[in-house]
Amino acid sequence: MPTNNSSNGSEREKPDGLAISRRAFLGVSAGAATAFAASRVMKRPEFSLVSPPDVNAEGIVTEEWVATSCLNCPTRCATRVRVVNGKAVQITGNPLSKFSEGETCPRSYVGLQVLYNPDRVTSPLKRTNPMKGKGVDPGWAPMSWEQALREVGGRLKSLRAKEQPHKLLLLYGLNSTSDEDLIQRFASAYGTPNVVSGEGLENEAAKAGEWMADGHYTDSAHDLERTNYILAFGASIVESQRPLARNLRMWGKIRRERPNRARVVVVDPRYSVTAAKADQWIPINPGTDGALAMAIANVIISEGLYDVDFIESWTSGFEEYRDLVLGSYAPEKVAEITGVDADVIREVARGFAHFKPAIAWRGRGAGCWPNGSYASYAIFCLNALVGSIDAPGGITYQETPKYRDMPQVVEDGISGEGKTKPRLGFDKNAGLLAEGVVTNQVADAILEGSPYPVEVAVGFGSNFNMSAPDTTRWDEAMAKVPFYVHISPGLTEMAEFADIVLPASTFLEGWAYEQCPPGSGFAEVKIKRPVVKPLHDSKPVAEIIFALATLLGGDVAESFAGIGNNAEGFVRYRTETIMPWSELCKEGVWVGPDYEYHKYDQIFSTPSKKFEFVSGNLEAAFKQSGSGRSDKLALLPHYEEPKFLGDDGTYPLMLVTYHPLLDIMNGNQNYPWAQEIYLVMQGQGWTSLAEINRKTARSLAIRDGDMIWVESPFSKVKARARVFEGIRPGVVAIAVGQGHWACGRWAKGMGVNPNEIIGVDYDRLSGQSSFFNTRVKAYRA
Amino acid sequence: MARWGMVIDLDKCTGCQACTIACKEENNVPYGSPEENKRRLVPYWNKVIAVSNGEYPSVNVEMIPMPCMHCDDPACVQVCPAKATYLREDGIVVQNYRRCIGCKYCIAACPYGVRNFNYKEQIEEEYHRPDLAPDRSVIGPWPFPQRTHGVVEKCTFCFHRIDQGLKEGKRIGVDVVPACVEACPTRARTFGDLDDPDSEVSRLLATRGSFRLREEMGTRPKVYYLSK
Repeated sequence: MPTNNSSNGSEREKPDGLAISRRAFLGVSAGAATAFAASRVMKRPEFSLVSPPDVNAEGIVTEEWVATSCLNCPTRCATRVRVVNGKAVQITGNPLSKFSEGETCPRSYVGLQVLYNPDRVTSPLKRTNPMKGKGVDPGWAPMSWEQALREVGGRLKSLRAKEQPHKLLLLYGLNSTSDEDLIQRFASAYGTPNVVSGEGLENEAAKAGEWMADGHYTDSAHDLERTNYILAFGASIVESQRPLARNLRMWGKIRRERPNRARVVVVDPRYSVTAAKADQWIPINPGTDGALAMAIANVIISEGLYDVDFIESWTSGFEEYRDLVLGSYAPEKVAEITGVDADVIREVARGFAHFKPAIAWRGRGAGCWPNGSYASYAIFCLNALVGSIDAPGGITYQETPKYRDMPQVVEDGISGEGKTKPRLGFDKNAGLLAEGVVTNQVADAILEGSPYPVEVAVGFGSNFNMSAPDTTRWDEAMAKVPFYVHISPGLTEMAEFADIVLPASTFLEGWAYEQCPPGSGFAEVKIKRPVVKPLHDSKPVAEIIFALATLLGGDVAESFAGIGNNAEGFVRYRTETIMPWSELCKEGVWVGPDYEYHKYDQIFSTPSKKFEFVSGNLEAAFKQSGSGRSDKLALLPHYEEPKFLGDDGTYPLMLVTYHPLLDIMNGNQNYPWAQEIYLVMQGQGWTSLAEINRKTARSLAIRDGDMIWVESPFSKVKARARVFEGIRPGVVAIAVGQGHWACGRWAKGMGVNPNEIIGVDYDRLSGQSSFFNTRVKAYRA
Repeated sequence: MARWGMVIDLDKCTGCQACTIACKEENNVPYGSPEENKRRLVPYWNKVIAVSNGEYPSVNVEMIPMPCMHCDDPACVQVCPAKATYLREDGIVVQNYRRCIGCKYCIAACPYGVRNFNYKEQIEEEYHRPDLAPDRSVIGPWPFPQRTHGVVEKCTFCFHRIDQGLKEGKRIGVDVVPACVEACPTRARTFGDLDDPDSEVSRLLATRGSFRLREEMGTRPKVYYLSK
């Protein structure tokens, strides 16, 4: 790859002055030394105000600002990129975006290093070493696109010819909304029910919690701008909780840009960045957030602080809930479970009810547990208690843009039949509610070949070999897949198992549309357009899908006809009904109408058409599956003691993991800007640390900076110990995002990946992976 | 003549480090390696530092963004034997790379640790901005896109932006701000004329309690912090 500007004809000589030797200058400055003290303040010489800057002299031949959007995390912020002489040199927020009020976060700024990453794949690659495994050299041999597509297309074609399209498995990580739409369409047209996204790893319990109460299987949108009180359960809202850039912007707003400063209380065993910036940090026993939420409800109800109007008009099941809360969750009792003083519980409950409008925010720390759905249901119900449902400063219901509908896929017998086959990863207990994303069970399905073996797998930027608990299972599973095609800009861990790697362009080189994750309430569409021409020999994901569909021919190709014919055409086809194409290209965003609150007669999709403290949706799901519980308690928010993996005698410590802000969520971490300031609280970069409380460290004879083993019943990792006051005794915290063994020069071998030692467990209801219930021990290495 | 200063609201700042990266992006400041990071050789014109106090559970970690403080009485200027660093009339402390002899006295003298020595030849990245240069006649050749190794570097308050903005008649602090101020998603940073009572920086300082770092050193920094 070119390393200077010569490729676009803008090569310049060094500025003349630098040719003068340093010695010559020394003479000058020594002579002036006597006058030095007097002239410390130098007068700025006059210069001509009329002469325009000579842009060519500065090396600028062409310059433009391109409106596009980011894809370094699921927030997908609208950005503008400054392109000089055909090279992207600066990224900022797009001021026209209302979602984050024109701001964006540092993850966006790292985009330049995502684009110009020297370890990108430069051409399609073919595996020459038939052995697959962690650390096994695949023996990559470059091949042409034509050859690569023909080979992949051939495999897909023959699988379909055998009438076994369901044996194709599509995996995807972070992709643009339009690429996700195309991946889903491809699966449907081809005839496989097996489309698995990374979403299922971390976000399902939070979604299930809301679904039980109001029927919306989604993350919640929070009306941050107008809120007065945020109670965050395991949600590091200014560190990793999406929508991050919006959270950051609103943080500034609610703290100091209006007369009343919002109060923030963070419940988390770890002193997160959010806890550091909050008004109060409540270190809680890991996994007991649900109990704390129930105790807060106890105080609010017993002291009569709840919103009687809302409860009476728009909720059902309140009596059962009240009886449960008052009967079983007295603050003193819950104090023993959570390790949070009863007085603190009362104070927080009163604050929450008093400083309305208030938000109870359920995050990863509360949900990634076997009891995660119930905990998140319990937390979500607090919002209803204080009337924060569809109200200013409370929970809102995210509106989505109305894209132009695509025609139905053309279904032949093969694809129709394929889609009726059982989905991979669903023959286990977990995932009663999930709509098809028990991601981590897919590895088991591949390994066991059950209910049927996978013949071909295609991964779109996925990297479950890093992000899923017990990574070795994924290593074994991917090694077992007979033919795996990986599509991403870089050679990530998952790519190491591929038979063919197709170099995808980054998000700065292709067309796409994006919609924001729940957050703003109102809808917003962002566009992605090529800021520069695709580098190397890469192709945008959308182009690859269109090419494969064409190669497959027949009904698959027909399903992809008439929706724009290529990536740009597709984006235009889908968005043209929302905003004229030329305007959308120029402005980069479309903002929907203002949000309207209090739509109580429309928003609750529950049997009672009200907010439910006793979940009718859950009752129906239990009935339908036939395997669920039938007792009343199972339908109410409640606390269940989390089951741990590992006994507390041998493994006395609990392991919590977290996403630092500079964990770039595209499956890669090969970006020096992000790496060198990775852990802001610890002042360290290029690594992850085993953070441990001083008392715990002393009892284990561990000193700050020691190399230690953190060992679970399943595996162990060697990390540098960080003795830190900001963590609950008995807990070890390790940041995720490091510990790569592939990806490139700036990621490989830095820090450790805690997912290697985490056991496999699930939230029973949602099927989300349980990241936090693995016990560990720590000792000096 | 304006006297440029910056106000950083620590109640709004979340330590996200958008400023740190935006500064590197704007000014072509190189990134380091893990090894250079350990030896503290990586240049940052702006960095967020974390200061911990207290014991569990009443721990407190302050995250403090650290640009150059642009002192009105800068220690670095006093000790520089080559007159390479000086205070502009508008209050910005500038480093002239042509004059710098790399003796590092200023680094030792600076109470804030915000000066960096450039140890190596710069690798030219594709994303480096090819332009920049404020007025060359004023401060001499600006080392872009190639930097000069063997000299001391530091935050400039992005004076290339300010000078250009003034030429174009733009409002400094409103239309034109340093890169770190522009990048801050919480809008914790404000830039403007400390001598102008109507500027946003003056307004903030009048309405909120503020402090400066190491005021007892008598350096009179022009970066103010608003406390939580």
